[in-house]
Amino acid sequence: MVNLFDILVIEPLPAHLMLTVGALIISIIISIPLAALCLYNKKLATIVISFANLVQAVPSFAVLAIVVPLLGIGFTPALFAIVLRALLPIIKNTYVGLSTIDESAIHYAKGIGLTELQILRYIRFPNAYPAIFSGIKFAAILANSIAILTAMIGSGGFGENVFKYIHQYNIPFLIYSIIPVIIIAIFIELIFNLMEKKITPKPLRVK
Amino acid sequence: MIDIILQVWEKQDLSTKTIEHLAMFGWALSISIILGIGIGILIYKKTRIANVVFNILNIIELIPTLALLILFLPILGLGASPTIAACILYSILPIARNTHTGLTNINKEYIEVAKGLGLSSKEILIKVRLPFSLPLIIGGVRIAIVFTMGVVTLGGLIAAGGIGETIQTGLQFIKMDIIIVSSIWVGFLAVFFDGIAGFIEKKLKRRFDFGKSI
Repeated sequence: MVNLFDILVIEPLPAHLMLTVGALIISIIISIPLAALCLYNKKLATIVISFANLVQAVPSFAVLAIVVPLLGIGFTPALFAIVLRALLPIIKNTYVGLSTIDESAIHYAKGIGLTELQILRYIRFPNAYPAIFSGIKFAAILANSIAILTAMIGSGGFGENVFKYIHQYNIPFLIYSIIPVIIIAIFIELIFNLMEKKITPKPLRVK
Repeated sequence: MIDIILQVWEKQDLSTKTIEHLAMFGWALSISIILGIGIGILIYKKTRIANVVFNILNIIELIPTLALLILFLPILGLGASPTIAACILYSILPIARNTHTGLTNINKEYIEVAKGLGLSSKEILIKVRLPFSLPLIIGGVRIAIVFTMGVVTLGGLIAAGGIGETIQTGLQFIKMDIIIVSSIWVGFLAVFFDGIAGFIEKKLKRRFDFGKSI
């Protein structure tokens, strides 16, 4: 029994977490500054947002496949594929959050002499936290979901067991091997809900 | 270039695969639309039940796509039926939620006017609430289209056929030409259907958005 737990949970866990968390961190690092840049460059904003809208419709499996001719197989291409997918919701939500703001708040801020950068830091970002957060949460769920698929291109993780047991058509073991991923997904949701409550500025909290 | 595409197309029988793909897509989407709008209408007056239903659907949404497909294997076996079932479970939420939001967040004045004219609540639903919700409902359908395309493509992994199967073949033997042609083709199909839904959404918004005139 201990052995089974090792095979189904302990062994694939590090690769899975590295894929999910790694891709999420890279996506956040790329997309939040990019979205902030879009705020000051309308041309860039149109390009980035329409590109994000377009690519978001493409199935994850196709994105994963198209990475192979570009980067080959293994852990890094898999990470790249997940980042490609996880970027979009964060960029979109950050941009929407930063740009949909009460104009009068910006006017007041300018009136008391804040610079553009200060307005971004003290007015726009706090206002956008809820939107950014829900974007990151969605990206995390997505990353967790795709991290199983990437085992197809040799990334390791829970998907390896899944594909092994699909070939053997071993249904009980298939179910065992996906349960950890479902638990991780629910865990992600719970953690993010908790953080969301903490990070939202008091006036914006839903009572 | 075109030679290679045609060669892959014929060898992998992509015409048949595309038909299989779109058939699953069509079935799954039609059933989701019927169920989603139906659920939205059934629960729009019952806040408590609505909360429970949406919580359950939200949890389903968390489950990774492949995991949901696998959860259906013991019940429905391999092939198209677990794929369609998974598509439906994912797609009900956006459609039902948007229908619910559209039906409940309607301008109170319209309801008052309709009541004043002597319409029954059923008539108000059909003649006032539903038409005004159409832009939102189609927005939900648009999200469902993206979900359904994604799940149908994954169905290739559990022998559902469709273009996903071709992608899998390409990945298994690392045949770059097959990978490129099939994944770009399925990407194009997804963007195409999303675009059509987006176009309809825009038209409906223009037709039913009276917010500014009042």
